Amino acid sequence: MNAVDYTPDELIIVAMARELGGEYLVSAVTPFGQLAAVVAKHTHAPDLELLATPESGAGSDPWPSISLGQFQGLSQGAVPITMEDVFDAIFRDRFRIWINPAQIDRHGNVNITAIGPWERPKVALVGSRGIPEDSSHLSQMLFYILQHSPRTVVERVDFRSGAGWGPDRERHLGLAGAPTRLVTNLGVFDFDGPDHSLRLRSLHPGVTTAAVQEASGCPVVIPPDPPITPPPTPAELAVLRAHDPLELRRWEWASEVDGLRRRWQEERAHLPLDHPEVRRWR
Amino acid sequence: MDKVLTVEAMVAKVPDGASIVFGGSSLSRKPMAVARELVRQGRRDLTLIVNIGGPEVDLLLGAGAVKKVVYAFVGFEILGLAPHFRQARQRGLAQFEEWTEYTVIAGLDATIKAVPFLPTRAGLGTDVLAVNPAFRRIADPFGSGQELVAVPALNPDFAFIHVNYADCAGNAAILGDTHIDPLAAKAARTTFVTCEKLVPPEVLRRFGRDASILRIWVDGVAEVPWGAHPTGCAPQYRFDLDAFTQYLEAAAEPERWAAYLDRVRQLSPEEYVDHWGGTAGLQARLRV
Repeated sequence: MNAVDYTPDELIIVAMARELGGEYLVSAVTPFGQLAAVVAKHTHAPDLELLATPESGAGSDPWPSISLGQFQGLSQGAVPITMEDVFDAIFRDRFRIWINPAQIDRHGNVNITAIGPWERPKVALVGSRGIPEDSSHLSQMLFYILQHSPRTVVERVDFRSGAGWGPDRERHLGLAGAPTRLVTNLGVFDFDGPDHSLRLRSLHPGVTTAAVQEASGCPVVIPPDPPITPPPTPAELAVLRAHDPLELRRWEWASEVDGLRRRWQEERAHLPLDHPEVRRWR
Repeated sequence: MDKVLTVEAMVAKVPDGASIVFGGSSLSRKPMAVARELVRQGRRDLTLIVNIGGPEVDLLLGAGAVKKVVYAFVGFEILGLAPHFRQARQRGLAQFEEWTEYTVIAGLDATIKAVPFLPTRAGLGTDVLAVNPAFRRIADPFGSGQELVAVPALNPDFAFIHVNYADCAGNAAILGDTHIDPLAAKAARTTFVTCEKLVPPEVLRRFGRDASILRIWVDGVAEVPWGAHPTGCAPQYRFDLDAFTQYLEAAAEPERWAAYLDRVRQLSPEEYVDHWGGTAGLQARLRV
């Protein structure tokens, strides 16, 4: 048997893709999130409806871009939808998104707002955005973290931008919006440990349970003999690579600043410039 | 009907201390010519209301023009954190009120629907409710036992929105994502639209449902080509990475930032376009 060559970013994206299914509107604000949706749609989940931007472009076949999500939607003749459409889909649980928080804790609370106290943060991040809406309505909440460390996987988040498990959830929310999966660079996790705590589902190839525990700022429930995350199939890899002409997955993985400028220059070459729907408005 | 005026005249109507909702989203179709003009005219003590805020909020914070920011998000997306927003949050240089994407929509919608608040589940179980004094928890008056968040009406003094095309009566067409702009136009006491190009009313009507802002909501319209620069305006131009790189470098150092602001104050909207290479230069880099 020939081993399939793949890189860690590709393993993570494919693990994320395998969590998606059914007929949902799938939005993305990051290359990893977008590629996970694309791989799912072109392999096991053809009924997914992908958006080209965080809020529009239904019916498109998007790929991660730096600035061109809206241009893709227009040039592909995607169905234009509104912010209200997106929130209707969230509130009616017909929406999915992979979220990349700065911190996640053992009960699945997530933080993209601030490190340190909210009033005077050590690091002010961006604000809760739409995570409170997701975490009070969706039946599947999906998170990924590319640098699993005691700073990102913590006992308690500094600020709850999204609601995890706990007394507040039991009192106000029930199951709607509860965290279901976490994929990191070390493995795949759920929140099905005691009291809905973080639990390992599978280890990525070459990763040990000791490494997972050491990289986590909270206890992780480790089952005996955890399975290994299945590697990407050739079909999954082919879709993934074909839909990432700028290799933005590698940019998100490595955060290379110089690489962004080169990609920004290159991205124009990957669009159908003469598409009548775009030219019409010139 | 003719509501055409200049961006300078629009901004001249905004007093110190006014509240302003900006359209657009992060690096997309932000009314940047207006933000620059607010700096040029030295406006102070503004309250900014944004759903997905970005460079417009950051520039005005960096110019010391802001008293308070109401926001669901302020950032530069793929380019990272917004430097002056970050600094102002960390040093307490302005007041901040963290909302969420839908609650900003609900707050504007409450004003449009002429009710004092709208209920939602969004925010329950999060710390947004702990830090944002604007919200109230309420019980379902119909007795389901469900607790809800009451989102108060947001009624900005001004809305500023940048669009692709408009006519002289204020009808406006947005060809890419509309973001919160149609809501902002309806909720503000005074709504000003800047556009890439003014077109005759019969041409504007050809855009059909893309003409998502009707003139009854619009008090003034100005033609400002490249008025969203350095953010993008799909499908006409994408965001300008070179201009953002320059901005972020300037923001990292007080002396360079002072020089950057001096330049913002010196350049009229027309001179601004010339500074970035004129229409030909901008098109060469930014047109798709």
